[in-house]
Amino acid sequence: MKEVQYEQKRMSTDVLVLGGGTAGLTAAIRIKELNPEINVVVMEKNTAGYSGKANRGGGVLQYFDSKRITPEGFVEYHVHNVGCYLGDQEILHKYVSMNNEMIDKLVEWGVKVPYNEDGSLKVIPTGPMTGMIGVDLDITVQMRRTASKLGVEFMDKVSLSDVLTNDGKAVGATGFSLLDGTFYVVEAKSVVLATGSQNYKIMGMWNGRGEGIAAAYRAGAEMRNPEFGNFAQLYKANSHHDFVFSENVMYNALGDNVTKNFRRFPEADVSSSAVAEWYKQMSAGRGPIYIHPEEHPVTAQGVVMFTTPVVWNRPYGLKIWQKIYGKAAEVDGDNKEVTMALVGEQSPVKVDHDMKTTIDGLYAIGDISYTGSGATGAVPAPPGRNRGSGILNAVFNGLLAAESISEYVPAARAARVDEAQVAKSQERTYAPLQREAGVSSEEVIDGVREAVGPIENSVYMSQGRLDIGDRKISKIKKKVPQMAAKDLHDLSNCHEAEAMVLSAEMQFKASSLRKESRGWFLREDYPDMDNQNWLKYITVKNVDGEMVFDTEDVPYKNWPVQPPPGR
Amino acid sequence: MANHKITVDEEQCIGCQICYKACFVDVIRWDAEKKKPIIAYPQDCMHCTMCEALCPKECITLDIDFEGLRWYQTFDRYR
Repeated sequence: MKEVQYEQKRMSTDVLVLGGGTAGLTAAIRIKELNPEINVVVMEKNTAGYSGKANRGGGVLQYFDSKRITPEGFVEYHVHNVGCYLGDQEILHKYVSMNNEMIDKLVEWGVKVPYNEDGSLKVIPTGPMTGMIGVDLDITVQMRRTASKLGVEFMDKVSLSDVLTNDGKAVGATGFSLLDGTFYVVEAKSVVLATGSQNYKIMGMWNGRGEGIAAAYRAGAEMRNPEFGNFAQLYKANSHHDFVFSENVMYNALGDNVTKNFRRFPEADVSSSAVAEWYKQMSAGRGPIYIHPEEHPVTAQGVVMFTTPVVWNRPYGLKIWQKIYGKAAEVDGDNKEVTMALVGEQSPVKVDHDMKTTIDGLYAIGDISYTGSGATGAVPAPPGRNRGSGILNAVFNGLLAAESISEYVPAARAARVDEAQVAKSQERTYAPLQREAGVSSEEVIDGVREAVGPIENSVYMSQGRLDIGDRKISKIKKKVPQMAAKDLHDLSNCHEAEAMVLSAEMQFKASSLRKESRGWFLREDYPDMDNQNWLKYITVKNVDGEMVFDTEDVPYKNWPVQPPPGR
Repeated sequence: MANHKITVDEEQCIGCQICYKACFVDVIRWDAEKKKPIIAYPQDCMHCTMCEALCPKECITLDIDFEGLRWYQTFDRYR
């Protein structure tokens, strides 16, 4: 055993935000706006302002034209077509109603949104119900600047270890510095998890690695809807670069249009039926699959929306997109071959309408709690078949949490950590560094990816394939306590690996329980929606180290849009 | 494992730290003495290209190993 000793530092604040992406920064800024006396610290694994998903995405915000559609109208459309009767209609209604207010807030915080010359927003319609407006990719850089001006403090390069609890309340968190290994113990009256979803380190820009989910789970917070953590989409075969909406123009190697097999009318976005069609064609030996981009109005435009200011002027993003698309174009050339690949986006931390988890004082916002909130039903985290909803969902969640926290904190008692818990967390944190030799983090991560990656295991599912996935994960799980870290960077990889194993186990086990197909959730052996038995959420909880599953009834009777009866 | 290459022209580098901050996967570390980036963990690069795109002196280059990237699908073509 290696001797590893790092300094321990104690800190104290009112609110500790974990994760410096859009959701975390929104909450931090808004708490300060509501009450400047509340101290807020943001702990971030890399550098807040440059982390998260928003600054690496498509640079768009979902837009609802209140002159054209009503929140009720959108909720009805979403419930029938996307969430398939599991979505929380009350929270979805609130999200749509706050659309303009949220965009105004971002602009107030320095975020650049392109306008027309007459001062109106530059909206592009994306469907009968929705539109999109551009946003430049320095969104989180601007938000960090605003947060700093308001007095928010930042701890960069500190990786979250554990959420600390005492008497059933969140009282802080622990983390370690990637740079010098210092073990931080931060006491806080309220803790906000904003660490993103689980994406298993497979596709480039999707960087959630699930340590926040794992920390919440270990602390005893309940999870909900983990089975909807299986987003997949089409990628160009050479560059691994995504090609959004290209599921509309899929052809097999024989030259047959295969989009016709699963899509008869225009749909909001990629669907699990498109994923299944790709798998069926490949299995039948009719692959590879190619696309004919010129046959669809959006894909025909190619990448000009990103690489030129023709639609929206986003100068910061333009530099980045030109690089990325340029490098992709070099290797893709005229090749139109595409591949389906798993993105993941598991977001299962259960929260109420204030974004509060089942632990008092612990909140979860943004991509960590998208399906856990129940807001949108049977669909993975943003884009969740709603391009542009990711950033605004993060802003929405941050605003709600800030409202609740600014009331909670002044009345809360000073946080007191449980020293035994701190000692246990410190031991767990550095354990992989103490081992002289063992399994590498890469071996564990690769094992998880081999299990969840194949889309027939995770998107177009069957009992047999789910069982195979689950068995693979249980084997990998045995390696977790044997992981040995080479250095602090690798120590972080070890904790990410452990979190990935947990997410994959929840994914396979919950998917096995849900014996139906609904929305994005697709099982080959149970192809129909079952409203008699499955108007339910699956919940997961850590009970003394055991993963315990249960279900809760969806309170659909309280909501305006009703499911059709029976199967 | 993919073998991405990130190179820095230290002569041109002005030590602004943007590449270090922009790296969201801890691939780039900072040498405080020399005031230059250290390409510490290129094997974990997720090829977002922000280091290269945001460098004010255009002195950092990312060479993506596209062939080394994996899909994790069942078909031989997309392993």
